[in-house]
Amino acid sequence: MKLTLLTAALVAASFTYAAAAQEPKVITEWDIQTQPAGSKILQEALERFEKANPGYKAQRSQIPNDAYKTKIKIAFGANEPPCVFTNWGGGTLREFVKAGQVVDLTPYLAKDAAFKDRFLATAFDVTTIQGKVYGLPGENTAATVIYYNSELFAKHGLTPPKTWPELLKVVETLKAQGIAPFALANKAKWPGSMYFMYLVDRIGGPDAFRKAALRSPGGSFADPAFVEAGRKLQELVKAGAFAQGFNGLDYDVGASRRLLYSGKAAMTLMGTWESSSIKNENPEFVKKLDFFAFPTIPGGKGQAGNIVGSVGNNFYSVSSACKSPDAAYQMIKSMVDEPSVQARLQDNRLVPVKGLQISDPTMQRVMKLVADAPFVQYWYDQELPPQLAELHKDTVQALFGLSMTPEEAAQKMDALAAQILR
Amino acid sequence: MNTHVTMAALPSAIRRQQYARNLAPVLFLAPAVALLVTFLVYPLGQSFHLSLLEWNGLGENSVFVGLSNWAVLVQDTVFWHALGNNLLLAVVSVLVQLPVAMALALLLDKAGRGSRTLKILYFLPLLFSSVALGVIFKNVYDPNFGPINAVLQTLGAPALAQDWLGDRSYALGAVAAVICWQNIPFYMILFLAGLASFPPELREAATLDGASNSTIFWKIKLPHLQGTVRTAAMLAVIGSLRYFDLIYVMTGGGPEGASELMATYMYRTVFSSFQLGYGSTIASAMFLVVTLIAAFGMRLTKRFETEV
Repeated sequence: MKLTLLTAALVAASFTYAAAAQEPKVITEWDIQTQPAGSKILQEALERFEKANPGYKAQRSQIPNDAYKTKIKIAFGANEPPCVFTNWGGGTLREFVKAGQVVDLTPYLAKDAAFKDRFLATAFDVTTIQGKVYGLPGENTAATVIYYNSELFAKHGLTPPKTWPELLKVVETLKAQGIAPFALANKAKWPGSMYFMYLVDRIGGPDAFRKAALRSPGGSFADPAFVEAGRKLQELVKAGAFAQGFNGLDYDVGASRRLLYSGKAAMTLMGTWESSSIKNENPEFVKKLDFFAFPTIPGGKGQAGNIVGSVGNNFYSVSSACKSPDAAYQMIKSMVDEPSVQARLQDNRLVPVKGLQISDPTMQRVMKLVADAPFVQYWYDQELPPQLAELHKDTVQALFGLSMTPEEAAQKMDALAAQILR
Repeated sequence: MNTHVTMAALPSAIRRQQYARNLAPVLFLAPAVALLVTFLVYPLGQSFHLSLLEWNGLGENSVFVGLSNWAVLVQDTVFWHALGNNLLLAVVSVLVQLPVAMALALLLDKAGRGSRTLKILYFLPLLFSSVALGVIFKNVYDPNFGPINAVLQTLGAPALAQDWLGDRSYALGAVAAVICWQNIPFYMILFLAGLASFPPELREAATLDGASNSTIFWKIKLPHLQGTVRTAAMLAVIGSLRYFDLIYVMTGGGPEGASELMATYMYRTVFSSFQLGYGSTIASAMFLVVTLIAAFGMRLTKRFETEV
């Protein structure tokens, strides 16, 4: 009896072994699509990948945004990253690339010209490092705009301001009515950075940041454009343009949006993903919601059409530690294939492909804003190397808190930039 | 002949016996030592080693920079400010948490059996996850919609309504209040356990001698509890020096670094700025500070130790 059992166990074990030998190769994938709609799109894309590539199996993990940033760093540090990973391009991706941990996608795309040409040319800007492409644009196109409560504007006879002095007038009028002009939740510091980036662009044009970040001759973070941007920002703070508590409010718990919903604040400067958040949280409010572009500054070098935003964010890349990079490339391709692009469009997200048929009028306006933009400034905090990005956010929060002068902030940035950006 | 053999065998037998006697403790201690070395000594050494590198934690691009990270740390105003905040938190914790916990413990002890529901209620804050608690209190402190400011305004004291988490002067205090609220139950339970072991005869004898309640507390109960109080104070100090969670969730060390602690600064340096080397320097410095203060605190409180 014992012997029979043992034999049975052995036979069973050998079967398991045989099964293991034929088991498909696993391709791990990490993303941050935790919302049901976005998650389903990727799930279906991975199923299409498995069907088209027999012998491979996708193993997916969804991780919330901020936790992901820490987790992916630890995974790369331990040299055990997933095959396919979400990223924001720019400075962080550059750190992984510098460590030789990301697969260069240029040869794949060269063989796959039709696939590459589907995308807007600018969609590869922030994942291109020293002429090589390291990531595919996947999720969305975002412009930063000023959202406003059109009902409040109409009630107080206001129209969207086109210039800085007009904006200050609007601020003054709203203030007099006891309404906070802007809702800002700046605990995490990046929402406040948006004001600063726009001011730098409007004052100094795209070259101010580009030259400073590339350390080109004449480029500096202490450039008058940065100092002036700091001054204008503090001018806004001193005019009482922001609802109380801005440096402590948390964007992630909706602290800025509920100021809008309640009518306590009239405007907010935010990426265009904000409209889908509002649509999910407060569908009623969408009727009152409209947006306008950041005003120009008289005498400034930046064009009115320039935007702060991103084309293609998030991006999908393949890690060098992956044992089957070819299959992983097929996987990221399927994550941005036609069905996923269409599904994202249904979810109000714009993958930057050419000739996207958009029916929603607001989305059309966003896409037009991006397509017509002479220049798209990528977020400083994603574009710069991490240490400098951190300092940028710290100095801007201090500018908002009026505890640092614009000159001081500019000098600090440039001192660290000179040390890091060699 | 017989004697001779025994004489010769004796030294070696003794040696063997001694050897066995020496071996036994080594053998018994080996697993504990192995664990300690693997999980304490090695990581500490490793973290000190990392503090000598300039490294983003990725790949093989680390550069040995000797003590230059330490030189930077000594002049890093953010670090000193954070250390100051940690010490402040430690003082507040000891001065607020322990007396309140003691008062609650005395009351509950006096109430006896009937206080079970209260005990459970008071114990609840400790059972919350810090992250959930942080999110709740973020909303409680919200200057525009939070209940605190709403109450202050309704009571006709709008001047007292502050921007609790967004103002540099209030942020640390606002979070410290929540930290106290969360941790008081822990010390309360500790003191309750101490009071439970207080022999009732002592109290009876004292009462017969005409001692008042306050005399009984100050002269008899408190000395009886001094070991517990000392332990509680040490725990509060050490806990404050390495504190992280509620600050991270509620202010992230902000606004403008006003509530930065050593641990949040270390986290930011490693995970946001990608400076693993310098972050390890902060971590090692934190270890040194905590160890020194703990050692000093132990000595100091030992001096006041009296026989009960």
